[in-house]
Amino acid sequence: MTQTITIDPATRLEGHGKITIHLNDKGEVNAAHFHVTQVRGFEKFVEGRPFYEMPSLMARICGICPVSHLIASAKACEAIMSVRIPHAATQLRRVLNLAQMVQSHALSFFYLASPDLLLGMESDPKTRNIFGVAAAAPEMGRAGVALRRFGQSMIEVLANKRIHPGWVVPGGVTEPLASAKRDQILAMLPEAYANVGLALDAYKKVADQFREEIEVFANFPSNYMSLIHEDEAIEFTDGALRLMDAGGTTIEDGMTAGRFVEAIGEAVEPYSYTKFPYYKPLGYPAGSYRVGPLARLNIVQHMGTPRADKELAEFKQLAAGPVASSFHYHHARLIEMLYGVEKIEQILADPKILDKHVRATAGVNRLEGAGQAEAPRGVLHHHYKVDENGKMTWANLVIATGQNNKAMNDGVLQVASHYVKDGKFSEGILNRVEAVVRAFDPCLSCSTHAYGQMPLSIELLAPDGTTRDELRRG
Amino acid sequence: MKPILILACGNALRGDDGVAWHIGSALEAELIAAGVELILTRQLQPEHAEPLSRANTAIFLDCSAVDQPGIVSTRTLQPAQSLPRIFSHNLDPASLLKLSLDLYGRIPSRSEAITVGGESFALREQLSQPVKEAIPIAIQAVRRAIFASEQESVFSPQK
Repeated sequence: MTQTITIDPATRLEGHGKITIHLNDKGEVNAAHFHVTQVRGFEKFVEGRPFYEMPSLMARICGICPVSHLIASAKACEAIMSVRIPHAATQLRRVLNLAQMVQSHALSFFYLASPDLLLGMESDPKTRNIFGVAAAAPEMGRAGVALRRFGQSMIEVLANKRIHPGWVVPGGVTEPLASAKRDQILAMLPEAYANVGLALDAYKKVADQFREEIEVFANFPSNYMSLIHEDEAIEFTDGALRLMDAGGTTIEDGMTAGRFVEAIGEAVEPYSYTKFPYYKPLGYPAGSYRVGPLARLNIVQHMGTPRADKELAEFKQLAAGPVASSFHYHHARLIEMLYGVEKIEQILADPKILDKHVRATAGVNRLEGAGQAEAPRGVLHHHYKVDENGKMTWANLVIATGQNNKAMNDGVLQVASHYVKDGKFSEGILNRVEAVVRAFDPCLSCSTHAYGQMPLSIELLAPDGTTRDELRRG
Repeated sequence: MKPILILACGNALRGDDGVAWHIGSALEAELIAAGVELILTRQLQPEHAEPLSRANTAIFLDCSAVDQPGIVSTRTLQPAQSLPRIFSHNLDPASLLKLSLDLYGRIPSRSEAITVGGESFALREQLSQPVKEAIPIAIQAVRRAIFASEQESVFSPQK
């Protein structure tokens, strides 16, 4: 008799999803799926809007990483305009994107993941949350709050709004950086360094306690893709994409946003509204790949900042080739936060950042354009088509979470197969099944803005629909 | 004067849910002149625990989906005894007070919620008539709360 375990909704994720685990007659796991149950309608309802409205429209997709959408969208518009934006504008966007990365990674690590890491996968679910962390390790709670505030305050200082700022526009940014604002940001950096350092130390102390999870948390060979700077350093805003195989060999390099359109296909599975992007020359599913912090750190040769470079060297010791376990996304995220703070300091130290020329102007010079940037969760791609008057006729977005979709599904299967035996499961096992998805920090909010109190139930169902076993949370 | 924090919470794109933004914006110049910190926010988040811990008086301004439309209510708040088991991004005032206590070891000596009963939470920026008419009453309630806090400061100066 086959049975199905359902986790609906999965918790401590951005947005709503559910997980089903299918058991065979022997109570063994023979399939598992991560379902994204939201629909994103943005591509459809932007049709007919002027292309220059796209960045501000696209930023509304997500309250967590609106800046990445702003930047990818603006770059797609600039491809339509056929303009190169001023250097200061590029650097200001880079600072803004890094600020967003820090606050988003802080949310992922401190609010969503640290309850598992600091309190334990099997700890009391009543307190396995940010409040439990605040009570058990208030210094970590304070660090998380401070890093969130750091990133959000920087975005507000630069772009005048914490969420959905309108400062990034096609052609650059709307206003240059004032020296007073630069100094305000620089004054925030010492505390940010201290808090990232605290988190890195805390993570390294507890990581060894999770050897079993490291072994089975989406720990398999895969391809990886990320932006990379021409000097082989990490890159979040410009550069081109590199696709690397499981052995560390480059499959394709210098992939521009235009080339992405040709090279990346999107497969569809019946159980999820999120597509499954893949590299066309390898086909689906062989051409599936992982994106985000783990992929970025596997691909880059160096970070380009001294403290993060030391951490990267240590990170690369985790494996002989690319680091395969998705549990290490957490570690990679912390290193990227350190890089973000350092890079912001580097960029702001250059007097050219105060340059007054921050915007290029042009009309419609091409009827199609694509742009890409690194969102906190990985590569984000926007592709637009317009008519002669610049009105949108078609749009397609390939978001980071989609590009990790195959790996997340395979990870759920790997964890469930390892822990669920004889059709029996416990709350701790349920939490690990969610935690493997959480390691990717998926942002399902790219579909809707849903959030809030999320109860969770897990049910073991017989083929006739009757409930054989049930766990309920919230 | 001991520090006063006003947290005006709601979504100004969802009709009456944004009433706190209207009240906060109407009072903004007055509050700045009085040295009162005003935070306009769509939802209460853990990040608000830190400014809350620095305040001696906290006033939470919000819309009530329970009270009759246009009814202004003032009530004293205490930190939650227990916290929500599942948290995504938003908190209620009592949970935020509890978080402030856990993280920073202190909370305001006085915390009040001033709410206006809402009528319509549809996708629009305008307020319903009863809520619009209640704004002057809510503003007076905020002024009274600030005055009470100032009087406390006079009679028990900060050490």
